[in-house]
Amino acid sequence: MFDFPPPQIFLQLSLNGALGGAMYGVAAVGLSLIFGTMRLIFLAQGAMIILAAYFVRALFQSFGIDPFLSLVIVVPVGLAAGWLIYQGLFRKAAVEEDRNISLLIAVGLMFLAENLMTVIWGGNTAGVVTSYTASGIHILGIRTSFTRTMGFLIALAGTGLVMLFLRKTLVGKAVRAASEDITAASLMGISPHRVNAIAFAVGIALAGAAGVAVATTFPFNPFAGFIFSLKALVALALGGIGSVAGALAGGIILGLIEAYVQFFVGGSWTNAVAYGVFLAVLMFKPEGLFGRPYKKA
Amino acid sequence: MANRLLEVSDLEVAYGDVRALWGVSIHVEAGSVVAIVGANGAGKTTLLRAISGLLPVRRGTIALGGASLAGPAPEAIARMGIAHVPEGRGLFRQMTVLENLELGAFQPKARANMRQALDKAYALFPRLKERAGQKAGSLSGGEQQMLAIARATMSDPKLLILDEPSIGLSPLVVQQMFSLIETLHRQGVTILLVEQNIHQALKIADYAFVLKTGEIAMQGTGAELIADPEIQKAYMGVLEL
Repeated sequence: MFDFPPPQIFLQLSLNGALGGAMYGVAAVGLSLIFGTMRLIFLAQGAMIILAAYFVRALFQSFGIDPFLSLVIVVPVGLAAGWLIYQGLFRKAAVEEDRNISLLIAVGLMFLAENLMTVIWGGNTAGVVTSYTASGIHILGIRTSFTRTMGFLIALAGTGLVMLFLRKTLVGKAVRAASEDITAASLMGISPHRVNAIAFAVGIALAGAAGVAVATTFPFNPFAGFIFSLKALVALALGGIGSVAGALAGGIILGLIEAYVQFFVGGSWTNAVAYGVFLAVLMFKPEGLFGRPYKKA
Repeated sequence: MANRLLEVSDLEVAYGDVRALWGVSIHVEAGSVVAIVGANGAGKTTLLRAISGLLPVRRGTIALGGASLAGPAPEAIARMGIAHVPEGRGLFRQMTVLENLELGAFQPKARANMRQALDKAYALFPRLKERAGQKAGSLSGGEQQMLAIARATMSDPKLLILDEPSIGLSPLVVQQMFSLIETLHRQGVTILLVEQNIHQALKIADYAFVLKTGEIAMQGTGAELIADPEIQKAYMGVLEL
C-alpha cells in the first residue's frame, strides 16, 4: 500500500528544488542576455561558472578570503572578462554575422576552459569547506543549509540587479532595444558591438556570482559545467527566451521538477524527465511558459 | 548650389549580382523637403538604406555636409546627424512609448538635451504624452508612425529620412501625417521623403526626384512635376482612382 508522505516532505522538496533551481536560473539569465543581442547559445556559460567556482576556491585557500566576500572581486573580474571575451573572440564573427562560427567558438572556449582547469587544479571533485558549511537553518519543520540559502539570495539579487539595469538605465534600454531589433537600434546610433560586449560582460559577471554559490554549495569538477549549460538551456526554454525574470523562474521550475522526480520516481529519472520537459516545451510552447514570441533576427 | 546638405553622386548599389541603383545622383538643400517618388521596386528604399549605411555602396559617393557616408557603420552615420525612419517604422514594440523616445536620444550629443527634446516632441505629438507608459506595439498604426517620427526628431538630426510614412494609414491619418511633415519643415528640419502617395508628396516637396528601375528619370520642383503630363499619366492616373 502506498503511504502518502507527510506534508512537510512537500515543503522540504519545494525548498530544495527552488534553492537548487535558482542556480540553473541565474545561469539561464546569462544565456538569455547573450542570446538576446547575439542570437548565440553561449554553451560555455556553465564552464565559466565552474571556472569562477575554482577562482573562489583559490581565493579562499591561498588568501583566506571568505567565499561570499569574494563576490566583490569575482563580479568585477567577470565584467572585465566578459568584455574581453567578446572583443577578443566573438567580435570578428559578429561582424561577419556568422552564428555557426560564434557557436563553434563558444564550444571551443568551453573545452579550453575545462582542460585548463584540469591542468591547473586536477580533475578530481573539489569543494570549499568553511566554518559555516555544515550549519543549517530550521523553520516550520523543514531544514536547509546556510550556504544554499545564501546561494538562492545571490541568484535573486543578481537577477534583480540585471533587471534594474535593463529597465532603468539608458544603456540597459539600448540592450533591450538591440535584442528586439538590432537594425533599428543601429539607426538610433546604438553600436551592436557595444551592446554585445555589455551583454557578455553582464553575463559573465553573473557566471561569477553563480560560481560563488556553486563553490559554497556543491562539490564540483572541471567538467561539471557542460551539464550546467544544458540545464540552463532547459530553464531558458521553460521561461521563454527574452525574459530575464522568466529565465530565473524557468530555473526554479526545473529545480522543482528535479526534486519531485528524484523523490517520487527515482534519481536516475531526473535527467530524462528534465530533457523530456525541454522537448515538450519546445514542441508545444516554444515561446516558453511566460515568454512572448520573439522576432527572429 | 545654395547650401547643399546631402549630395549623392553616381551611386551604385547591388544585392549580390543584381544591381538595384545605376548611377543615381540626388541632392538635398538644407532646410528643404525633398521627395523621391516612383513605382514599387524602383529602388527608393534601397537609396535610403544606402544613405544611412544599411547597404554597402558599390560605386559613387554620399556626403553629408562634406563628410563621406559611404563606409561608416549605420550607428556612426546616425551620430553624424542622420535620423532614418525605416520601412515598417522600426519601433521597439515591447518597449514603452517613453522608452522608444529616450532611445531616439541615445547618442551622447542628444542625451544631454533629452529633457528639452522630449518636451518638444510631446508638444508636437500630444497623443504620445498620454500614451507614454504604453507599449509601442499597442498603439494604432497612425500613432506608431507618429512615434517613429517623434523618436527620429529626438536627436535633433541634420537630415530626417522618412520611408513611406503614409503606408497602411487611413486617408484621414495620411492628411495628419503630411501636415505634420509640413510643420517639421517650418521648424527648419531638413527632410528626405520616399512616398508612393505621389500627389501628396509632390505637393509638400520643394524638390523631387523620380526614380525608375534604379535610375533618376526626372527631377524638378514639386510644382513642376505635378504639372508634368508624363508624371500625371504614368503615376497619378493610377493613384487618383
